[in-house]
Amino acid sequence: MATTTLPRAAGYTRSSIYEWLTTTDHKKIGIMYVTTAYIFMLLGGLLALGIRADLWTATSATGSSLIPAALYNQLFTMHGTTMIFFFVMPMLAGFANYVVPLQIGAADMAFPRINALSFWIIPFSGILLFSGFLLGGAASAGWTSYAPLSEAKYSPGIGQDLWILGLLFNGMSSILGAINLLVTIFKLRAPGMTMLRLPIFVWTVLVTQVLLVFAVPVLASGLAMLFIDRNYGGSFFDPAAGGDAVLWQHVFWFFGHPEVYILILPAFGVISEVIPVFSSKPLFGYKAFILATAAIGILGFGVWAHHMFATGVVFLAFFSATTFLISVPTGVKMFNWVATMWRGKLRFRPPMLFAVGFLISFLIGGLDGAFSASTPVDFDITDTYWVVSHLHYVLFGGSAMAIMAATYYWFPKMFGRMLDDRLGRVHFWLMFIGLQLTFFPMHLLGLAGMPRRIAEYAPTAWQPLNQVATIGAFTIAASMLPFLWNIFTTLRRPADQPDDPWDAYTLEWATTSPPPPYNFDQLPALHSERPVFDLKHGPHGGAPVAVPVAVSGGGPA
Amino acid sequence: MFRARRAPLRLLLALLATVLVLGGCAQASYDNPVPGALPIPAVTETGAMANDLYRFVLVIATIIFVLVEGLIIFAVLRYRRRKGDDGLPVQTHGNLYFELGWTIVPFLIVIVLFVLSYQVQTKVDARSANPGLTVDVTGFQWQWTFDYKDQGLSFTGQGKTGPEMVLPTNTVVHIRLHSNDVIHSFYVPAFFFKRDVIPGVDNAFDITITNAGTYTGQCAELCGIGHADMRFSVRALAPADFTAWVAQAQEAAKNTPSPPPSGPAPSGATVITESAASAAAFDKKDLEAPANTPFVIAFSNTSPPGVPHNIAIQNPAGGDFLFNGQPLTQPGQTVNYTVPALPPGTYTFICIVHPTTMTGTLTVK
Repeated sequence: MATTTLPRAAGYTRSSIYEWLTTTDHKKIGIMYVTTAYIFMLLGGLLALGIRADLWTATSATGSSLIPAALYNQLFTMHGTTMIFFFVMPMLAGFANYVVPLQIGAADMAFPRINALSFWIIPFSGILLFSGFLLGGAASAGWTSYAPLSEAKYSPGIGQDLWILGLLFNGMSSILGAINLLVTIFKLRAPGMTMLRLPIFVWTVLVTQVLLVFAVPVLASGLAMLFIDRNYGGSFFDPAAGGDAVLWQHVFWFFGHPEVYILILPAFGVISEVIPVFSSKPLFGYKAFILATAAIGILGFGVWAHHMFATGVVFLAFFSATTFLISVPTGVKMFNWVATMWRGKLRFRPPMLFAVGFLISFLIGGLDGAFSASTPVDFDITDTYWVVSHLHYVLFGGSAMAIMAATYYWFPKMFGRMLDDRLGRVHFWLMFIGLQLTFFPMHLLGLAGMPRRIAEYAPTAWQPLNQVATIGAFTIAASMLPFLWNIFTTLRRPADQPDDPWDAYTLEWATTSPPPPYNFDQLPALHSERPVFDLKHGPHGGAPVAVPVAVSGGGPA
Repeated sequence: MFRARRAPLRLLLALLATVLVLGGCAQASYDNPVPGALPIPAVTETGAMANDLYRFVLVIATIIFVLVEGLIIFAVLRYRRRKGDDGLPVQTHGNLYFELGWTIVPFLIVIVLFVLSYQVQTKVDARSANPGLTVDVTGFQWQWTFDYKDQGLSFTGQGKTGPEMVLPTNTVVHIRLHSNDVIHSFYVPAFFFKRDVIPGVDNAFDITITNAGTYTGQCAELCGIGHADMRFSVRALAPADFTAWVAQAQEAAKNTPSPPPSGPAPSGATVITESAASAAAFDKKDLEAPANTPFVIAFSNTSPPGVPHNIAIQNPAGGDFLFNGQPLTQPGQTVNYTVPALPPGTYTFICIVHPTTMTGTLTVK
């Protein structure tokens, strides 16, 4: 391979804990992001198991459910909040942190210290959020925290205030991270890394950061208003004092729908890295894919009120049309991925298994979303288990499957060790089957009229499918065991992986596994979006070339 | 050649029909609906249209689902790398015509879906100038009140099944939605419709029910710890039966006692006090009363507007309540409920409007 490890600079040694606590290395920060996000995923998953355990049995008119409603409402509120803000967002931020500077041939992020700050905010804001459980009850007004239910009059506990503060800090971390990544992508690309040679993952991260910069401040303003309402006698959202209850929903969803794309676009990016590599082909329609990503980013700001069709106070036709429209660029991507596999030579290693699992599941999440774009249909299915199914097919079948693919794909780069394939396959099949068992039946429950967020249900006809979903949820939980065992045992083995164990395409595979501080001592010449492929097979048949890092940009910051 | 190509299409349609039939059967009971691939059959004019729209979207979605999942599975099976085959496959970077095709065709499909949706939406949202009946619905934590103002009737939900809304079939019914506290949502699956009940917003909709029967409904917007308790039902009657029901209900309303005086309690009896500042709990969870003699509970409702309460004492042996304080105490009122003599023991008392959240223990000795 064209690169070698830089000789370590002679210097003082530090304890490794001190090193990790004070590091500004984007790779270490990325690994800490990913680890933190996995811890929150396990916490959020435990909350979900509580929800599913409660729904195992139908409750007769006289009986009471396993978990009292007061606690049940905390479980699903904290489950949603944790999975969205403390699992998927930091996870994708973590992979972006680790991978983007490597993929663009940079030595680090543009602002390494701000990078460390934006990471360290996450665990602290998470602790703030979760401390509600110990301080008289966590937030319980749903992850959407609709006013006036989230006002002090109806949710008097401190849990709701901690929720607001946790998300405000979380949002601050997102904005700092977004600006950092934007500057990194715009200013620190290696010579020759033009915008149209950026790996698709970098493109999706780029569009996501733009969405973050525009959407998160809107949420922050809403949170601040709610905090003022609750603590300083404001009345932004309290109709009893002249406020407007629907205003919160507009503010929340003006953030909330772009948020959906914030959670899924980098996942698209991961899939667009994995499928080409494991098919031994380039991504089919690279430019169309970038165009589709940008189109989703723009349209994503014009669909927010499709969450509010049943309020009766939004312009139905406009939001119905934009919601239908946004399915077109998403569909384009689906076809691009399938065409990438077409006539390829597919290798079913764990990253590819999860990527195919993503395709199969995300397609369902895309198709059942089209029903909600149709307003008369949405009037029935909104706020039922249909929507619960839809959002989990997108966020679990989509984002979480892609996160698993990313974990298996970049693990050898991060640690120089390869996760075990056999355990990876067990993990995949348990998780994939669990996902379908848990979330597919929810469509049918929604059509049968089961509203979401109810601590108990009376119709016994709903019980069998709820039990299937509960079995599915515990299957997903079981899939974590081979996964965690795999990580545990692999990290105890020696780091013996080559630079490019997957026969991959992008620049992170041109340096050692794990990469040295500041990433590269020399970079290959850049002729396309697949520099490492070009290096191995020659750009358009040409001979491989390498340029020393001295002439490349992105030196130590 | 032509015939050979049709076989898979026919197979696909047959498969589709099977899925729809299998999924759509056995929806007989509206209070215990069996989940399937089709929604509960709608019993309103507009609900039936929306139901058809759902079926249409389902057919399109199923075709795309079968097509794309089929392509994925085919690619996975057909193009897996054989052992020892290390050559590079053809490096296809794209194909303009294919890419235009899978942009334009979905675009046309969503335009069709949008136009069809829009047409149905206009009908669902249509308002009649002369509705045959108007019902005012008030949602509050965690019950419903149905007011028939023109008929002088009002029903507040009690117990876990909530109130019943009796409506005539084949008549345009105008339903107005009000809330004084948080957001609720009026959802009847058999109407294939819901509309949010938002404080400060005057929402309304019109429906015409086509089938007589009883249909369950419940709140569909998270509204606090009693959210799952906000159930109600709709009983649709033929217009003549409905007129008879109105007369009967008006007669029954005349015969219920008028609100008891909130003045002084009957002399001699022991008076104990209780109050409720919200629907989440009674202010005092433990009450004590003398045995074997009638006593008075002076109950003050200090909850927000629109939230009535009462006190009902459960029979420890099960069955009917030993005492069910009527009428309900409205916010701002204090009502003296005179409870008949009880033998010594421990009793559970509840608010009949909030049976899950508002409970307490009455010790009689």
